[in-house]
Amino acid sequence: MNEAYWAKNPNGPFATLIAVAATYCHPEAYDGADADLVDRARSPEPDDEEIRLFKTELREALADPARLPDDELFKAVDYGDGSDERFLRRLWRDLYGDEPTAGA
Amino acid sequence: MRELRDRPDEADDGGRAERDGPGAGAVRERSEVRSRSEYAADAELAVGLEVVRRFDARRAGLTEVSTRDAAAYLDVRQAERPWLAAARDRSPEVQRLFAALDQGGGHGHIRHEGWVTEEMSRRRVAYLEDPAQLDPAKRAAAIDGLLPGDQRHRCGSLATRIVNPDAFAVAFARGAEHSDVRGALDAEIRKSRVPSPVVLPIASLLGPHGHRYCTGWQLEAVEGSVKTARERRDASADVTVRQVETFDGGTVIFAFGPNRARSGYEIVSMYVNPPDGA
Repeated sequence: MNEAYWAKNPNGPFATLIAVAATYCHPEAYDGADADLVDRARSPEPDDEEIRLFKTELREALADPARLPDDELFKAVDYGDGSDERFLRRLWRDLYGDEPTAGA
Repeated sequence: MRELRDRPDEADDGGRAERDGPGAGAVRERSEVRSRSEYAADAELAVGLEVVRRFDARRAGLTEVSTRDAAAYLDVRQAERPWLAAARDRSPEVQRLFAALDQGGGHGHIRHEGWVTEEMSRRRVAYLEDPAQLDPAKRAAAIDGLLPGDQRHRCGSLATRIVNPDAFAVAFARGAEHSDVRGALDAEIRKSRVPSPVVLPIASLLGPHGHRYCTGWQLEAVEGSVKTARERRDASADVTVRQVETFDGGTVIFAFGPNRARSGYEIVSMYVNPPDGA
């Protein structure tokens, strides 16, 4: 009955990217969510598979934003960047700085 | 309805017309024949109050509060925390839930419940005026009322609320018992990791007519895009807003975060969304 995109489509395209972005980047996220996501992305714990998959999916989405499921990212995050692509670019920059998006 | 930044604010009726209270002696501001669905919604709500009676604050990541302490808490704090006024004439069980919520780190009862008037809700989405900001000048300047350091308030493309405190309490208590929400609340706290939001149908928490307790405002699309409207609103450009037509088929979102001690998770916000396209 959980109607979140990632709950209904656990193996769906970019489910992890959208779930993590919804958790930390939505305007209703808790105070300190931004800092926690940066910390989690830059210093992942050895068993944090979710953040590793998040990074992979973020790379893939930046390479081809048209592959994102129709409007699911904005529905989940309600970002103010104007487009999926601008939000994802800002997210990458905030988390990974100048690291190239086309990674290993 | 079009709203421009330099237009005088409309008279605020304090949202009293929207407040209903089954079994609580609430008096309607105007006489009207209640519809069958309104009666049905109230009947469903009366049944739902049972879940509020058994609400376990500790299992929701909150501090347990007795009904006696809750009444005292509301009495003492209402002046400085006006959102508590909504719970003052409610049952002891509803008061207990609100008192527990207010001592946690969440803001759902502050921004998404009935003490917020329609006008406050409209101005939140249109101008980023935070209902939690009690300083009028800071509110007009879009300064967040809960974050430290005069940070700018954040709001998405919608500002919504559950107008009835009993309905809010039932939705929260029933949601806290849902298996996915329990999974999040019971998860072992891990550094910087937080469970993803859980999205439940309004009808599953408040019954098939429970959507009647929900209202909201949303940004009108600009050049065919709500994303563009959101971007422009955030850049302080004038935008137009419209009232959400219906929450029938809508959802309740439970967002999580670490509790203040970072010893576990709590529900940091609970808010409603209309169905897609509403």
